[in-house]
Amino acid sequence: MKKKKGMNLLQKQSRAGWLFLAPASLMIAVMSFWPMISAFITSLKTGSSANMKWSEPIFYNYTRMFSDQLFLRSVGNTFLYLAIQVPIMLVLAILLAQLLNNKDLKFKGFFRTCVFLPCATALVSYSLIFKSLFATEGLINSILVNLHILSENYNFLGNPVSAKAVIIIALIWRWTGYNMVFYLAGLQNIEYSVYEAAKIDGANGWNTFWKITVPLLKPTIIMTFIMSINGTLQLFDESVNLTNGGPANSTITMSHYIYNNTFGTGVANFGYATAMAFFVFIMVGILAFINMKVGDTRD
Amino acid sequence: MTRKNNRSMIQRRLIPTYIFLAIVSFISVFPFYWMISAATNESYDVAQGRILPGGYLLQNFQNLVSSQDLWGALANSFLYAIVQTVLALIICSLAGYGFELYHDKQKDMVFSILLLAMMIPGVATMIPLFKMISGVGLLNSVWGFILPSLSTPFLIMMFRQNSRNFPIDVMEAARIDGLTELQIFYRMYAPMMKSTYAAAAVITFMNAWNAYLWPKVIMTDTKAQTMPMLIANLASGYTTDYGVLMLGVLFCSVPTMVVFFVLQKQFAEGITGAVK
Amino acid sequence: MKKRLISMLLAGTMALSLTACGGNGGASDGGNSAAGGDENTLVVYAWDPSFNIPAIQAAAEAYKEKNPDFVLDLREQSGSGDIETAITTAASSGKYDSLPDIVLFQDHWIHQYVSDYPDAWQDVNDADIKWDDFSAEKLDYSTIDGVHYGVPVDGGTVITAYRVDLLEQCGYTIDDLTGISWDQFIEIGKVVKEKTGKYLMCMDGDGNDLIYLMLQAEGVSQFKDGKPYITENETLKRVVQTIVDMAKEGVLLLTNSWSDYTDKAIQGDQVAGVMNGNWIIPTIEKVEANSGKWEITSMPTLDGGKEGYASNGGASLYITANCKNTELAKDFLAYTFGGGEGATATYDNALKNGGVVSTYIPAGQSEVYNEGVEYFNNTPIYADIAEMGTHVQIIEQSSYHYTCRTQLAAAIVNIINGGNMDEELKNAEDQLNFEMGN
Repeated sequence: MKKKKGMNLLQKQSRAGWLFLAPASLMIAVMSFWPMISAFITSLKTGSSANMKWSEPIFYNYTRMFSDQLFLRSVGNTFLYLAIQVPIMLVLAILLAQLLNNKDLKFKGFFRTCVFLPCATALVSYSLIFKSLFATEGLINSILVNLHILSENYNFLGNPVSAKAVIIIALIWRWTGYNMVFYLAGLQNIEYSVYEAAKIDGANGWNTFWKITVPLLKPTIIMTFIMSINGTLQLFDESVNLTNGGPANSTITMSHYIYNNTFGTGVANFGYATAMAFFVFIMVGILAFINMKVGDTRD
Repeated sequence: MTRKNNRSMIQRRLIPTYIFLAIVSFISVFPFYWMISAATNESYDVAQGRILPGGYLLQNFQNLVSSQDLWGALANSFLYAIVQTVLALIICSLAGYGFELYHDKQKDMVFSILLLAMMIPGVATMIPLFKMISGVGLLNSVWGFILPSLSTPFLIMMFRQNSRNFPIDVMEAARIDGLTELQIFYRMYAPMMKSTYAAAAVITFMNAWNAYLWPKVIMTDTKAQTMPMLIANLASGYTTDYGVLMLGVLFCSVPTMVVFFVLQKQFAEGITGAVK
Repeated sequence: MKKRLISMLLAGTMALSLTACGGNGGASDGGNSAAGGDENTLVVYAWDPSFNIPAIQAAAEAYKEKNPDFVLDLREQSGSGDIETAITTAASSGKYDSLPDIVLFQDHWIHQYVSDYPDAWQDVNDADIKWDDFSAEKLDYSTIDGVHYGVPVDGGTVITAYRVDLLEQCGYTIDDLTGISWDQFIEIGKVVKEKTGKYLMCMDGDGNDLIYLMLQAEGVSQFKDGKPYITENETLKRVVQTIVDMAKEGVLLLTNSWSDYTDKAIQGDQVAGVMNGNWIIPTIEKVEANSGKWEITSMPTLDGGKEGYASNGGASLYITANCKNTELAKDFLAYTFGGGEGATATYDNALKNGGVVSTYIPAGQSEVYNEGVEYFNNTPIYADIAEMGTHVQIIEQSSYHYTCRTQLAAAIVNIINGGNMDEELKNAEDQLNFEMGN
């Protein structure tokens, strides 16, 4: 009797749970999944939008991309950004969050605001600022020349290697503070007494960081990791605004190339563009899956 | 006496931290300073990379207001961003709460499926979405702007992750006290997740405020244009007035910063609450 | 207290969104349509308030003489790219009703737009436009299979502008740079660079138009019978080699982006010469300190001994399928840009307010065109441009103009950085063929 009532209660709770998640799930179904299905159908077609035909063979757009040198280069560029930028940024973000979560630290709010400021700055100004800073006649050049690191002014955005470096630096500058906010929010949900106890036990900063902070932050770390992988694989703004993919397409990202095929300077080839988008989709999926499997220890 | 010594010792030990944070802050803030300074300079000086403030602020402002509908765009941006933030927070926190605290196999599965939605580059779904939104006559409206981003896997995930720290026994106690599930949500859960709400609000507001591609596609009427669109207009053409552009950018950046500034008190409250 | 705050916030949001909905709904009478509602209104998309927009406003003013109730709803876009995006979006989703009545865009696009989205346009064949009075090269773009789709606004006749004061310092006059070969140009450029530190030529290295311009001056296209004409094209190879030599010798400044080209190279006073469509003139004029020091002439050619002419950019107005007031739109265009009674007022004011130079040949005879321009040493540059426009040779156009430009620009950057010319051009041609689906 008592047991049965418990079952009912659980069922009732489960139903309440469904009700809570229903609005959000339905909206995603309509606003994301439906367009995705529609895009997938388009990806099986060729031709301009006015007269689209089914591809012959049906996965033509998908096989086509692997012989597209420019697309392959954009894949290479994107993964390069991912491999270099994401680890540096996340480590820096945790480090900053940890430093800022010290109750003895003064001017916390000031520092926090400063570090967050970059991602609140509008894209236009941010790209303009970076372009000016790294211009051949820009501030970075005059500093480096004055310090005798460079013998003459260097065209950072005009060289394939340094242009990639500028994109990575810009990404780190812009997004470190953003990720730090998550870590800070995560850290502040951790009871301060845990740290006090650790201190009494004689643990040093390094130990507390690895033994307490990282494990407790694990959900947040996984989340930011997935977000960053996702964000980097879909990287668009920096490629468009800082270098416009140049010089000679050496910095173009996948999303930028997809955009070019949808609206941009190329001839609109929507079927092919959506096929490439689904390639990105699969890549993100694989990486996120690995990440969750590695990181998710909840049973 | 000893206590004072102790305190100054702690501060002394923190000196490297201060120096490090000061350097990071400088690097973060410098471009922002440059933007303010540029807003007070003449176009030519800005393009030449002048760092010091100048005396052209008023003139830049007059040029900005006379060439663009600054107040209209600001009002639109505020409207879109506020409506989106409030509604998205409600919808997504409800979902995050539902997914985490009532989780079972099916719900976890639904959640995994929802995550798929954020894995596709937005450019690919833009045209089908446009077709949909224009099909129901929502171009140039706040609904057209917000509908695609009211419910995002990202926000749901954020609430879901942070809900893990929400103590189950509090829920049990509340149920014994006779609270309904919805009451538990807004009486117990929501107040406890304050810092998550604050962070989520900052991020949603920022995304909505800075959105460019989607509004560009659906806001075909100049009256409905947003701040980033206005700035893009300023940066266009064969000649750009950088002073005016930077002033526009400044107007566009201040609201997101104010939002962060206001809400970061909430974070701080979280800390002191925990210590007490 | 807190709860009250939240409920207030909620109520406020709801109220806001409701008013917003109502407000916008009312403004556009319930629908999405960007096109004008009543019978005297036309909605036009255009870009650049310092160039094209004043031209279209001039036309609207002129047309009000004939039709005082006429309302032009001009919606400023941030660039030609915005209009292209709007067209692609509308066409790809089949929702033409989001388009305005009339759009302005760059001429190179129309071939592609008509072949890809044939239902998106209304032709202007039966409008009362004096087609014979336009430059043939300009009309060649917007006429497809004998059908006129566009009404020309500005021409892209190329000017080569030089700082005559700097040339003088080096012992040259502008006549020494007229009708010369590119090799001679490079020799002069080296002297100018050495004595003044300025580049005699500049271009956006990312959207490099030099190849197209220099080829057109030779009467050669990058396309032949609808196929890329690159690796087999000896003229193109000589042009590419010349560009690479110019860059290596410090005669040509290739910038990283378009904005660096206009803002850093030209307005930053790094150059002694600029070659581009005449729409670049307002950019040159931004450096007030150099007023009176510039003059213009024609282009050098590969073999010299003759003057080179080309055309780059320039836009036309096109009526979309969404336009309900087609007769009004045609009448407006014919009366103003099309050579009707309002043409003189339109073109004179377009030139005065925006520096827009027409391809309507009679416009060149007007007084305004023949006045000396102070910035250019009081020479009548606009009459000169109108005259030069008549010499531009017609070459094969392609829907893939910009794709080709992008690929060749990348090849040139790679060659300058040490790549092999034949290999790079082969890559460019392969990629272009790939994108064209050949």
